[in-house]
Amino acid sequence: MNNSPAIEVLNLHRSFGGNKAVQGVSFEVKQGEIFSLLGPNGAGKTTTISMLSCLLRPDEGDARVMGHSIRSDQMGVKSALGVVPQEIALYEDLTARENLNFWGKMYGLRGSALKIRVDEVLEIIGLSDRARERVGKYSGGMKRRVNIGVALLHKPKVIYMDEPTVGIDPQSRRNILDSVIALKNQGMTVLYTTHYMEESQEISDHIAIMDHGKVIASGTHEELVKLIGGQARIELTLNTNAENVIAEWKTVEGVDSVTAEEEKISALVNDSNLVLPRLFESATRHSARITSVEIREPNLESVFLHLTGRALRD
Amino acid sequence: MKALDIALKDMLRSLRSFFALLFMFVLPLFITGMFYFMFGNVAEDGEFNLPKTKVIVANMDAGGPKFNVDTDNIPGGKDADTMGELIVGILESDDMADLIEVSHAASPAAARAAIDNQTAQVAIIIPKNFSDQFADIDGEAVIEFYQDPTLNIGPGIIRAILNRFTDGMAGVKIAINVFMDEAEQKDQARVGEVVQRYLKISLAETEDLEKELLDVHVPASENAAAKSENFLIRMLGPIMGGMMIFYSFFTGTSAAQSILREEEERTMPRLFTTPTSQATILSGKFLYVFMMVSVQVTVLLAAARAIFGINWGEVLPVTISAIGIVISASSFGIFVNSLLKDTNQGSVIFGGLITITGMVGMINTFAMGSPNADQLGDVSLLVPQGWAVRGLTQAMRGQPINEILITLSVLLIWSAVFFIIGVWRFNKRYV
Ligand SMILES: Nc1ncnc2c1ncn2[C@@H]1O[C@H](COP(=O)(O)OP(=O)(O)O)[C@@H](O)[C@H]1O
Ligand SMILES: [Mg+2]
Repeated sequence: MNNSPAIEVLNLHRSFGGNKAVQGVSFEVKQGEIFSLLGPNGAGKTTTISMLSCLLRPDEGDARVMGHSIRSDQMGVKSALGVVPQEIALYEDLTARENLNFWGKMYGLRGSALKIRVDEVLEIIGLSDRARERVGKYSGGMKRRVNIGVALLHKPKVIYMDEPTVGIDPQSRRNILDSVIALKNQGMTVLYTTHYMEESQEISDHIAIMDHGKVIASGTHEELVKLIGGQARIELTLNTNAENVIAEWKTVEGVDSVTAEEEKISALVNDSNLVLPRLFESATRHSARITSVEIREPNLESVFLHLTGRALRD
Repeated sequence: MKALDIALKDMLRSLRSFFALLFMFVLPLFITGMFYFMFGNVAEDGEFNLPKTKVIVANMDAGGPKFNVDTDNIPGGKDADTMGELIVGILESDDMADLIEVSHAASPAAARAAIDNQTAQVAIIIPKNFSDQFADIDGEAVIEFYQDPTLNIGPGIIRAILNRFTDGMAGVKIAINVFMDEAEQKDQARVGEVVQRYLKISLAETEDLEKELLDVHVPASENAAAKSENFLIRMLGPIMGGMMIFYSFFTGTSAAQSILREEEERTMPRLFTTPTSQATILSGKFLYVFMMVSVQVTVLLAAARAIFGINWGEVLPVTISAIGIVISASSFGIFVNSLLKDTNQGSVIFGGLITITGMVGMINTFAMGSPNADQLGDVSLLVPQGWAVRGLTQAMRGQPINEILITLSVLLIWSAVFFIIGVWRFNKRYV
C-alpha cells in the first residue's frame, strides 16, 4: 500500500444528456502530495470530483481511492475520504460546534473521541472562540473554514477540495492555502481544483490542466511550462480599444496567440526581439498607441493559452 | 444510531425555527383559544361568563301523588309540591342565577310565543300530568323544550341542566318500578318516599342515564348528548382536535420537506459523501418526520387539556387515535414530498393540498349541528384527515375500543400506501 498511488483515475466518462462533461479523464495522485485540477468553469472538474467521491456514477471507466474502487467499494472510498464541496454545505441554523459534532457522527466518531477531535478541528480552522455561534451568522470566509473542517474530522487519508477559495476575501484565501499546505505536511493527500493558476502554481506538486472534459496536459509546474518551449509572454496595453489591432496581431509572423482581457492584452511569441517591432508597426498603421509593454516569464496561463488559444478565465 | 443522529439534528433545527414552532404549537392553540373567547369571556377567576339565557317556563303540573320533597340535596331550596315545582325551583336557584333568567308563562301557547317573538331564548313546558305520569310505572313524563334555532350555547346549557335533572328522575322511575314489583300494590304514599330517598342520592352524585324524560324541540339537535361536563368544553374538544389534526398534517409535510431542503442546502449530497448508507440517511429523515408529529400531538393534547380543560377520553383510546394521527400525518408528508422536485413546488402544495384535504377532513367539526352533518361526515372520509378526526372523536365520546381500532386500521392502510410510495420514490431519486 505504501507506494501505491492514493488516487488512480482510469478513463472516466460522464455525460449529462448530450453534454459530454467528462470524456476520458485519467491521472494518478501520489500519496502525500497536493494534486490540482486546473481549468476554466465548465471544464469538468466538479463532475470528476463527484465521480471520485461516489456521488455520480461514471458512464465509463473506474478509479481507485486508497485501493478502493469507486464502482465496487463505495463505503471503502467514502471512509478513506474527506470531501470539501465547492458550495458550502452546512446547517446554517446550527453552531459550528453542532455542525462538527453532527458530521463527526456521520463519519463514525462518538463520545470522547468525537469531542476531542471537534476541539482539535476548531483549533485547526481557527474558530475555537466562536464555535458557539450559528454558522448562518458567519462571514463567507468563516463558513468556508467550517466547510473544510467537516472534511477533516475523521482524519482522512485523502481530501478533495473543490474550488475552496472562490468568492472570499484575500485573508481567508491565504488562510485556506496555508491550511492546505499544512494538511500535506501532516501526510494527507490533497486533490485540489481551481481556476486560479497562481494557486495551483503555488501549492501543487502536480497539476492536470482540464478543458472541455479532458486533461489536456499534466505534470509539475516546470514540466508544464516547458511545453511552451522558448516562447515569451508579452503583456501590452493600448490607448484605444482596438479589436482590429488585436485581430491583425494574431496574424503577425512569430505570434503564437493573443488574448485580450479588459485593458490587458497577452501575446505568446517565439522571439520578443523580433516580434515587438512588428506589433508597434501594426499599431501605428491603425493609429493606435502602445502605452505599456512587459515581457514576462511563461506561466500556466501561457500554457493554457498555448494549448487552447484561449485565456484561462473566459 | 446514525439514523437517530440525523433525526435529532433535524429536531434541534426545527425547535430553533420560529415558523416551525408557530405552526406546530402556537396556531392550533391560538385558533382554539379564539373560539374559547368567542363563546364566552374568561372572568378574573377563570370561569366562564356567558350572556344570561332568558328562559320562560309554563308549569302546568297539577300534581299527582302527594309528596313533599326534602330539598336538602336539591338546588333551589324551595319546598316543592309537584315535580314541576321542583324543576322550576332548580332553574330559579342561586346556582343558576348567573346563567339564566327565569320568567313564567300562563300557558304553553304563551311560552311558545315568547320564542317566536324572541322575548325568550328557551321555553320549557311542563305538562299538566307530569307528576302523575311520573308516579305511574308505565307513565311517560315528558318536558317540552323549545329553543331559538339561531342560538346554541345558552340553550345547550339549559338542556344540559335539565338532562342532568331528568337523568336523576329516570333513576327514580326505575326505583319505583322495582319497589312496585316487590310490593305488588299501588301505595302512592310509599312512592313519595322512594322518590325522596332516590333524589337525595341521584342529585348528590351525577349519573349518566339517557334523557328519556326530555322531549327536545330543536331544529338540529344531533349533538345534544349532554354529558356531565361544561357545554363549552364539549364544543372546544372537536375544534381543538380538528386544529391539531390539520396542523399535524402540516407538520408532517413540512418536516418531510426537509429532505428537499437538504438537497438545496447541499447537505444531502454531502451526507452521501460520508460512509453512511442511503437507507440510513433516508431512515433518519423519516424518523425525524415521525418524531416531530409525535411531539406535536403529545404537546397539543396535554396543552389543550391544561389550558382549555378539554377531556380527550380514556388514556388507551386517546393513545390509539393519537398513534393514528402521527402515522398518517407523517406518511402523508413523506408521500407528498416524494412527488415534488423542489421546495418551490412545495410551497404550492402547502397552500393548496394540505388546506383542501385538511378542510375536507374537518367538515364534521365545522358542520357540527347542521342538518346534513351525517352526509358531510361521510365526505370527510375521502381524506386521511377525516379518518384521523373520526378516531379522535370516537375516543372523546368514549366509544368502544374495537371501533377505534377499526378506524386505526383504515388509517394504517392509508399510511402504508403513502409510506411505500414515498420510500420507493425517494430511494429511486438518489440511486
Ligand atoms: N448535474 C448536471 N446536470 C447537467 N449538466 C451538468 C451537471 N453538472 C455539470 N454539468 C455540466 O457539465 C459540464 C462540466 O461542469 P462542472 O464539472 O461543474 O465543471 P467545473 O467544475 O470544472 O466548472 C458543464 O458544461 C456543466 O454545465
Ligand atoms: Mg466546479
